Amino acid sequence: MDEQQLRIFVAIIQHYFAQETGRPAEVGSPYLCDPLQLPVHDFTGVIGISGNRKGCVYFSSPREILREMLLRAGETDVCDENLADLAGEIANTISGNARREFGHEFLISVPVVVHGSDQRISVPKDVRAYVIPFRWHKIDASLVVSVM
Amino acid sequence: MFGIDLGKYRTIVISIALFLIFDLGVLVLNFFISSEIASDAVNVNLAGRQRMLTQRTAKLTLQLENRAAAGSGQATEMKELIAAFSLFDRTLAAFEQGGETAGGDGQPIHIAAVDDPVARTVLAEARRLWDPYQASIAAVIERGRADPETASELVRQAETANLPLLKLMNDLTTRVEELAASKATTLRAVQVAGISLATANFLIILFHFIRHLRESDRELERARRETDDILRTTQDGLFLLDGEGRIGSQFSSSLTRVLGTSQLAGRSFYEIISPAVTPKTLDTTREYIDLLLRHDVKEKLVVSLNPLECVEVNLAQGPGEAEVRYLQFGFNRVFEAGQVTHLLVTANDITRNVLLERELKASEERAKGQMGLLVEILQVEPATMNQFLRSAQDGLQHINRQLREQGSAREVGKETINSIYRIAHRVKGDASALGLTGLATSLHSLEDILSGLRERPALAGEDFLPVTVRVKGLFEEIEALYQAAGRVAQIRGVVSVEAPRPQHDPGVQALPFVQRWQAFAARLATEHDRRVELGYHGIDAETLPDPLRDALNSMVNQFIRNAIVHGIEDRETRRLRGKPETGRLSVYLSSREDGGVDLSFRDDGEGISVAKVREAAVRAGRLSKEEAAAMDSRRVVGLIFEPGLSTRDSVDEDGGRGAGLDTVKALVMQLGGQIRIGSTPGEYCHFRLSLGTLAPRAKAERSVQPQEEVVA
Repeated sequence: MDEQQLRIFVAIIQHYFAQETGRPAEVGSPYLCDPLQLPVHDFTGVIGISGNRKGCVYFSSPREILREMLLRAGETDVCDENLADLAGEIANTISGNARREFGHEFLISVPVVVHGSDQRISVPKDVRAYVIPFRWHKIDASLVVSVM
Repeated sequence: MFGIDLGKYRTIVISIALFLIFDLGVLVLNFFISSEIASDAVNVNLAGRQRMLTQRTAKLTLQLENRAAAGSGQATEMKELIAAFSLFDRTLAAFEQGGETAGGDGQPIHIAAVDDPVARTVLAEARRLWDPYQASIAAVIERGRADPETASELVRQAETANLPLLKLMNDLTTRVEELAASKATTLRAVQVAGISLATANFLIILFHFIRHLRESDRELERARRETDDILRTTQDGLFLLDGEGRIGSQFSSSLTRVLGTSQLAGRSFYEIISPAVTPKTLDTTREYIDLLLRHDVKEKLVVSLNPLECVEVNLAQGPGEAEVRYLQFGFNRVFEAGQVTHLLVTANDITRNVLLERELKASEERAKGQMGLLVEILQVEPATMNQFLRSAQDGLQHINRQLREQGSAREVGKETINSIYRIAHRVKGDASALGLTGLATSLHSLEDILSGLRERPALAGEDFLPVTVRVKGLFEEIEALYQAAGRVAQIRGVVSVEAPRPQHDPGVQALPFVQRWQAFAARLATEHDRRVELGYHGIDAETLPDPLRDALNSMVNQFIRNAIVHGIEDRETRRLRGKPETGRLSVYLSSREDGGVDLSFRDDGEGISVAKVREAAVRAGRLSKEEAAAMDSRRVVGLIFEPGLSTRDSVDEDGGRGAGLDTVKALVMQLGGQIRIGSTPGEYCHFRLSLGTLAPRAKAERSVQPQEEVVA
């Protein structure tokens, strides 16, 4: 995945936060990470990528971010189910936009939401993944792009 | 038969036809003989009646005689005699020649002439007796009455003829009965024969066809089992496609695996493949199948249009994942009576083949790329290469750590960029020194990006994205070098491609690291149109601990680059200055008792120009003109160790960004040591480094400030 494609993923998330919360997420310095040490927070929306390239993209958020976003949206019920729904909505937004941007290049799956550190997040082995840190409301979340 | 090809049913049709013919024959015979028997029954009755009539005629002749003798009326007797007489006569004639007579009910009936010889003999005898008797009776009847003599004569004739006639009629009756009985027997025989034949035929049909049916069943069962075995074990997905594009009820087990679903029978082929292929491919497939189903289109002409020859399909494979498979579909026409009725489709999963093919291509491309690498690697001693790669990988990991430590900080410090820059520059220098030009170019491109970032007034984390992408690429390049070096090592392990080393090195000039420095200096000098000679004195650097040796190597490389790019003058200038055309680089390395080492690097170039450094500091925005003018020479010279400051006007792979001495400074900081500089403009530049043994960073911070000795 080249720089331009990574920028598109970053822009999708920035746009989502700016649109939904009125407060843009800060982007941290991207770095590389071994598959076994990837950051996984409380709720993770995983999008599979196949076709010419294979791997996955996920956005992993701590529950605090999701709770804050729900409260700002006027939702007072911040149960896990609602938090997972919100994580799914973020992943859907990424997936939908990515499909529009990259649909002709690779196949982008319907996202799934994983609660906690789950083995269902399968990233390609032997590939250094890009980790792009995000900070919103002083809470860190991570976008991980691991594509062969 | 009748132009109809009965095929395997011919025998059974013939058998059933025979059965019907037998039944029909029996029926016809039965009907014929039954009618004969019915006719004989009439004859028996009539013959019996003849007996009765002879008796009655005789009785009436006696009554007539009595009436004649008494002179009484004879009308009643005469009337009865006429009836009996004429009935007997007509019936006898009918028996003889066939004809009509009165039946038991008085109605006329027609009987056939009796043709049995015995009966005819009886009839002939009866005729012989009857004719005179009949003539006498007829004469009496004609007269209308009988006189006593005539009556007596008639009685006498009756007495003569009556009993023989009675006997003959009795014989006739018996004979006719025998004939009827005989026919009944024949009828029974015919019926028994017919039924027997029909039964035999039935049994033949039964046994013959049951055997054949069983054989057919066994054949069918065997064929079915064979088909099942084929469909169960074949690795190909096999199925029939009808004119509507529907999959037949029989398909191979592998098809389920190939198509990823078991619900196939009767389903539309298009419906099954539509989620996995593009709409365009689906449309083309429809058109292709329609073409194949048309018998007026030649199969060979359209076979090359098959859009599913190698189709990439994406199958859902668990949450959030999809599996890419490559499938191959082949279509063959199935004909029946000259018409295409179905298509036999073979479906295969050729993912493995496709991937192998791609891997092969990628390998070929890698091999091409690695050829260049191999050429570069072959020029470097394996231990040195490994040492470099390890050091380069450490450097990249260090860069990555710095990126990671930035985290999601909004503002990124310039120091991070400088630090990354120093590492990149050091690795680039080492790569250049080893002749790894590809890697050096990639690192130079990373330096370009970092230079751009350094110029920006403010930086956000996102700005480091190109850096991270380049670092990933560099990791991959180094891994490729590792692999290539591994191959070279394998080859070297099998075949010694190096010339054997001499038992005793003639001098330190032959030490491998010295030779590398010399080669690097020579190459760089050629690139910059200079002539240089590098001389070395001192200890064997290979005996030093790895980190110290790596750092020393990097520093000397930077000094060499710095000297050739900034120090050694072109030949013309040197000649004008009265110097030899060949510039002299001297490296001296000695160990101290405390485990540290001293490095001395001297070149006889134009030395450090304080004025140029001042200009560079102003150009880089480090100092205002006034500050630069006011700064003393020692501090000005110290600026050459600052990042981003170069006295060179243009930037290329070898210099111009002022990163070389910055890198040296960083390494000295890491090792804990001191730098001293001696320089006379137009004459020489001399760096003297006292290096510790990886002392704590804090210690290095204190002692890193360069101490200039001679500045003019």
